[in-house]
Amino acid sequence: MQIRKLKFTTHFLFLLLAITAFSSVNAQTIKSKFHLDNNLSLFGALTLNNQSVNDAGITAPLNYLYNTVNNNVFKPGYSGGFRYDGIYDQKHFYSVSVAINRVSAGTLYKNKYSQAPFVDDFTHFKADNQFTTLNVAAHYKMLLPVNDMRRYKFYAVAGPSLDYKISTISAEHLINGAGNRTYINGDLGAEFDNKGYYVLYAHYKLGTNLFSSSVPTTLNRFELGMSIKVKDLF
Amino acid sequence: MKQFYTFLIAAFALTMVACNKETPTTQTDVMNSMLTNKTWYLDYSVTGSATKSYVGQSTYFVSYLKDGSVKDSDGLTGTYTVELINGKSQIHVQVKTLNGNSIEQIYDIISVGDSKLVLSKQVASGTPTQLYFTNK
Repeated sequence: MQIRKLKFTTHFLFLLLAITAFSSVNAQTIKSKFHLDNNLSLFGALTLNNQSVNDAGITAPLNYLYNTVNNNVFKPGYSGGFRYDGIYDQKHFYSVSVAINRVSAGTLYKNKYSQAPFVDDFTHFKADNQFTTLNVAAHYKMLLPVNDMRRYKFYAVAGPSLDYKISTISAEHLINGAGNRTYINGDLGAEFDNKGYYVLYAHYKLGTNLFSSSVPTTLNRFELGMSIKVKDLF
Repeated sequence: MKQFYTFLIAAFALTMVACNKETPTTQTDVMNSMLTNKTWYLDYSVTGSATKSYVGQSTYFVSYLKDGSVKDSDGLTGTYTVELINGKSQIHVQVKTLNGNSIEQIYDIISVGDSKLVLSKQVASGTPTQLYFTNK
């Protein structure tokens, strides 16, 4: 019953967030002010995800067979959203994006425990390895002096991003205050702009819990994606 | 100003959602889900430094069912609850013996998982016995 109440509260607050955000937006003003027709792109990406989990703060007497839950690989996911590319002061390139990520992550558990006379190794925590996040990113783009810069543009990209879990967190992941929803990431990457038709990009994101958690988690992601201007699509 | 208030409300809403965490029953719910509807077979019992192994032998077993009932290989039946008392996880078992007497036994949960269970039987005096079960 309490879990249901929690879900309802989450959905209600998201609805409130959406209504308040959209109610005060004057679409036309924003469209003309920021040249959305030219600078707004739709993007999609394939992602590879891995998380490492430190369950040293768990006090609940739970055990999970280490070999069953530990899987230190990068697993595929996907991502999609909108991004706005702009120039500040005629020389500083940047992009701001909002995306939904479906994360499927391999998980490395940093700690192993044993309980003799049982011979197996255990962890005390089982992390959710499939979840959905809402991602907001702001990237600075440095134009690289490569090739013919009037036609093909190469950028080095860096900046912060924020991931917020919007999917339900399992009860096992909530144990002892471990259920932290927000990750802050440092992003690095490279982008190739083909005459403004499309942008191909590769980003690496290293994320950690924004708020303190009894189970500090590090999220590593590689993104390979493509963005196309909205005006060319619709 | 209106946009500022909108931002404030949106930030507040996001913060409220971010604060949603576990409930007081989360831990017992998880332990219950691991314990129930399974038959647990005793593999080892450890008292002090003495370890007895029952692996590969006909051994004691106990079943905790979803409806809160418990029955074991000795023919005892009763009810059980998983509780968290002063930070200690425990199984409280109320059983009726074969001659009709009602007794309560409390086990401290040392560790519980999908396939391994370690309990410590509470005793009035002396060294408690740790019981190592496997779900087969």
